[in-house]
Amino acid sequence: MIRKKIMKNKILNIKNLSKSYGAFKVTDQIAIDLNFNEIHALIGPNGAGKSTLIKQIVGSVKQDRGSILLDQEDITDLSDVERAKIGISRTFQVSSIIPSFSAIENIILSLLNKSNKTFQLFKNIKDNNELELKAKNILREIELIENSGMVASELSHGDRRKLEVGLALAMNPKVFLFDEPMAGLDESGTQMMINLFKKIKLNTPILLIEHDMEAVFALADRVSVINYGKIVATGTVDQIRSNELVKDVYLGYEI
Amino acid sequence: MIIEKLFNKWILFLLIIIPIFGLIFEEPYYITLTTKVIILAIAGIGLNLALGYCGLISFGHAAFFGTGGYVTGILSFHALNEELLFSWPIDIFGSSEMLIIWPVAILVCAFLSLIIGFLSLRTSGVYFIMITLAFAQMLYFFSISWPTYGGEDGLSIYVRNSFPMVNTMDPFTFYFICLVWLMITLFISFKLINSAFGMAFQAIKQNEERVKSVGIETYKVKLIVFVISGTMAGLAGSLYTDLNRFVSPSVLDWHTSGEIMIFVILGGMARLYGPIVGAAFFIILEQTLGTYTENWQFWLGLILILEILYARSGILGLFDKKKNNEK
Repeated sequence: MIRKKIMKNKILNIKNLSKSYGAFKVTDQIAIDLNFNEIHALIGPNGAGKSTLIKQIVGSVKQDRGSILLDQEDITDLSDVERAKIGISRTFQVSSIIPSFSAIENIILSLLNKSNKTFQLFKNIKDNNELELKAKNILREIELIENSGMVASELSHGDRRKLEVGLALAMNPKVFLFDEPMAGLDESGTQMMINLFKKIKLNTPILLIEHDMEAVFALADRVSVINYGKIVATGTVDQIRSNELVKDVYLGYEI
Repeated sequence: MIIEKLFNKWILFLLIIIPIFGLIFEEPYYITLTTKVIILAIAGIGLNLALGYCGLISFGHAAFFGTGGYVTGILSFHALNEELLFSWPIDIFGSSEMLIIWPVAILVCAFLSLIIGFLSLRTSGVYFIMITLAFAQMLYFFSISWPTYGGEDGLSIYVRNSFPMVNTMDPFTFYFICLVWLMITLFISFKLINSAFGMAFQAIKQNEERVKSVGIETYKVKLIVFVISGTMAGLAGSLYTDLNRFVSPSVLDWHTSGEIMIFVILGGMARLYGPIVGAAFFIILEQTLGTYTENWQFWLGLILILEILYARSGILGLFDKKKNNEK
C-alpha cells in the first residue's frame, strides 16, 4: 500500500539508463527519480556524465539501454521534440537563446507550443495580447521585465541565465531539468534563482545540476552524486554530507 | 531602418515608373526588362523565405522555377496542337488560360517541393545543399532527354497564354499581371514573417536545438517553409515561360539556382525587399556591363566577394546602419 503510493508520487522515473561511446561508459545503469514537489540535485565532478544524462532525458542523445518514465508513461522511444511537448523542459549549460530576438520574443517563442500558436501562419504575433501578457508575467518572475525589449545578444551574462530559466518556465512543463542555472551569476542573481526555484517546486519538480554547493544545500530535498557515469549515492543533504564515498569523489574539496 | 524603408518605397516606385515611361516613350524594351526583374524577384522572394529567414540553403530552387516553367510550356503546347495531355484515367487537355495554368503550376510545384523537402530536410548543412542540388540536376537531365517537349532545344509556345478580357501580348498588360503577383508574394511573405509561425522559422535559423527544446516541431516548420518557398519559385517560373514564350532546360540548370541565390544575397538576406533589389541590380549589371564585355559576370563575382567581405547584409543592409555589420 505504502509502496504503491510512493510509486505514484514519482513524476520522473529513470531506470538502468546506460550509454557508452566505444568502451567509455558515459552513463552506467543510472537510476534516478523525481517526486512531486521536490528538488533533486545531481552533483559530481566535471565529466562525470551529468550533462549526458540530461541529454538522454530530453532525448537528444539516444540511450543504449534503460527506460525513462514520465508520469507513469514510457517516453523512452519518443523524440526530443515529442518529449518537450509532453512536458520535459530544460535549460542549457551554456545559454542557448535566440540572439536576434528580444527577451520577450524569446519567451513568446517558448509559449507557442502550449498555446497551439506555432502553425498560425498569417496572424501578426504582435497583435496577440494574451501571449504578451503571459510573457510579461514570466519576465517579472525572473526579474527581467526592465530589459524585456532588449535584444538577447546584448543582455548581460546574468540576464541571459535568467532568460534561459524563463524559457523553461514558459513551457509550463511537468518537470524541469536545470543544467547549472547559476553558473556565473552574482550573489543577488543566485539568491533570486534560489527563491524562484523554491517557488517553482511547489508546482513542478526540478532535477537540478549545480556546482554551487551552497545553492544545492539550500535548495535540494535530495541529492544524488554521480561519478564516472554511475550514481554513487543518493540521500538527503545531511546524509550526503556525511557519506564517506562522496568525500572520496570530491577528494580535497570541502562539501 | 527608416532609410531602408524609404529605399524600399523607391524600389517599388521605380518598378512602376519605368514601365510607364516605357509606355509613354514607346520603348517596350524597358517594360519587358522590368517584367523580367519582377519575375526573378518573385523567385527570389520565395527562396528568401527558405534561405534568408529559415536558414535552409537550398541550391535546388531551379527545380521549382523550371518545373513551373515547364508545366506552363507543356500545358499551352498541348492546347496549341490540340493533343491530349493525358488520356488516362480521364481525358485531360492542355490549356492556354493563365487562370488554369497558374493553379496547376502552383499545385505541381507545391507537391514537388513537398517531396524534395520531405527527403532533403532530414539532412542539414552541406548535405542539404548537395541533396537539393542533386534533385534539381535530376530534373534538368530529365528535361534534356525528353524529346516530346523539345529536349535540349526547349519548347516554344509562340503565343503568350491568355487572361480573361485583356491582351497579354501587350507588354504593359503582362507587366501589370506580374506586378500584381509580386505584390501578392510580398504580402504573403510579410504576413508570414510577422506571424507566430514566422517567429518559429526565424528562430530555427539561429538556434534549431533551442527551438526543438521548447517543443516546436522544427521539421514540420521547415517543410512548410520549404513548400511555400518552392511554390513561389514555381509561380515565377510559370510567368517566366510566358514572358519569353519559350522554355528550355536551362531554367532547371544549377546556374538558375545560383542566380536566384545571388538575387537574395545581393539584395540582403532576410530582408523583405532584398530579392527585388538583388534581381534589379543583377539585371542592371547584365544590361550595362554586358554591353561592354561578354564576361560581365567577372565583375558580378567581384561585387559578390566585396559584399561578403564588407557588407554581408546586402545592398539593403547598407541603408540600415544598425544591422550593417551584424553576422
